[in-house]
Amino acid sequence: MRVKEIMSKEVISVKRSMKLKELLRIFRNFHIFPLVPVVEENGRLAGIVSFRNLIDALQSYHPNMLKLVPFLDEEEQNIFKIDVSEDIGDLVVVEDIMEYEYMSVLDDSSLEEAYNQMKLCLKEEFPVVDKSGRLIGRIGIFDILQVVFRQKGIIK
Amino acid sequence: MNTILGLGFIMFVGLLSAKLIKKIKLPSVTAYLLLGIVIGPPLLRFVPEEVLGASGLISNIVLGIIAFGIGQNFSRYHLRRIGRSVLWISVLEACGAWVLVTSIFYLLLRQPFYLSLLFGSIASATAPAATVMVIREYRAKGNFTDTLLGVVAIDDAWCLIIFAISLAISQAIYAHTVATSFLVQVFLKSLLSIFGAFVLGAFSAFLLSIFYRFMRTPTDLLILTMGIVFLNIGIAIWLHLSVLLSSMFLGTVLVNINRYSFKLFDSLKTIDSPLFLLFFVLAGANLEINIIGSIGILGLAYLIFRVAGKMFGASLGARISNAPTSVRKYLGYGLIPQAGVALGCALVAKSDFPQVGNMIFTTIVATTVVYELIGPLCTKYALRKAEDIITH
Repeated sequence: MRVKEIMSKEVISVKRSMKLKELLRIFRNFHIFPLVPVVEENGRLAGIVSFRNLIDALQSYHPNMLKLVPFLDEEEQNIFKIDVSEDIGDLVVVEDIMEYEYMSVLDDSSLEEAYNQMKLCLKEEFPVVDKSGRLIGRIGIFDILQVVFRQKGIIK
Repeated sequence: MNTILGLGFIMFVGLLSAKLIKKIKLPSVTAYLLLGIVIGPPLLRFVPEEVLGASGLISNIVLGIIAFGIGQNFSRYHLRRIGRSVLWISVLEACGAWVLVTSIFYLLLRQPFYLSLLFGSIASATAPAATVMVIREYRAKGNFTDTLLGVVAIDDAWCLIIFAISLAISQAIYAHTVATSFLVQVFLKSLLSIFGAFVLGAFSAFLLSIFYRFMRTPTDLLILTMGIVFLNIGIAIWLHLSVLLSSMFLGTVLVNINRYSFKLFDSLKTIDSPLFLLFFVLAGANLEINIIGSIGILGLAYLIFRVAGKMFGASLGARISNAPTSVRKYLGYGLIPQAGVALGCALVAKSDFPQVGNMIFTTIVATTVVYELIGPLCTKYALRKAEDIITH
């Protein structure tokens, strides 16, 4: 079975230019830790943004820039005591905090491949892209488990 | 003290000292280095002989891991994003320190050329930890801060290239001081060393990328990455190639051939911190306090002209790339600290040039302590002058 056969085609995605304020509004609708794809104007997947990145929004510089620097102390940030201006809701956009390094699966991949990638990356959900890199859906570990349970006859 | 007790002591006290030094707004690397000096052979003698004897092993592993990570800087994506100013400034500030320190040591202080070249190349390194700490502390923000962060992030990559070239030339000069076909030999040896490192790094990257497909758990990934990085370091040592360059090429080729290479780099990050701690403590412990007095004028010249070279180079780079006046005038002040990569290069020089190695290493450790202490003050000054510090 292929990923495209069981993936959800309804995906909430955001654009790079979306303001932090609007992003927070979107995140409010999730019950679990979401992984929201960031797409270009032409629908190609450009990155992802998650709750973790919201913490980056409270920092005054872009942590992506420092990812490659050795011997850097991790910032012990007390988010309850950070003094930030209200303006960041309008000033910070998705592009400032999104992750450019992300995992995704091809719609044509087998469920086993997708499951192995999830296990390897300790992730429970991946965006699904077609060959041209366009975002076309999402697949979660539960979608795959349901298929396995069904195949074993545990659920109908 | 037995070896395991010594290692445990270093890690535990290292962690505590890092927490303590943060109270006075200095980075962990400074704490580790100072701790090494205090507990090392010249003072308290708390570091067991076996641990001290493993300094070479630990530095080769740490340097290999650092260079592997630094190789990521040369991904097509990263180079596209980095921007013209950062590229010009970082290349010229690194070359500025390299050329100026080499020239002053050779022409003014009358040191042998190979030694001048080694000092010059080590001078090109900049340690970002102290600079980033000041930026975080004052929540600095603006064009100046962005450029400074970009420059300190990529600087070590240029340093590794400069050091590898200088090391190859210095080794050739050192070994063939009386040869007639001197220049040709120097050139060929350097070229062979760099090309060999590239071939080895590229081969290891392809190997890593192929085996990545068969990994199923994060543990597999960590073991595979560590195994290939170690194999690469070991073969480089065996073939007398540059550990730094072959590891950096491994990282560079990997990041450009494998879309998911970040998983491999990230996996190593989960285990590198204790190794880094050990590396810095042992660097401090290897300092020979008795020869500090004899480095006098060399140390002073290194301290002054490294900074002068960086400032001139940064200013020139900013001018060429039409960066704002604040960047042109003050960016050099943010590039003063030196630590990990400089110490690593000094350790390589120490083992490759036994006659002068101790003097090089002691000069670098002593100047590192000075730079790490004054660096944050200079960075703060630059950020204030550039008006990137937000005042409430």
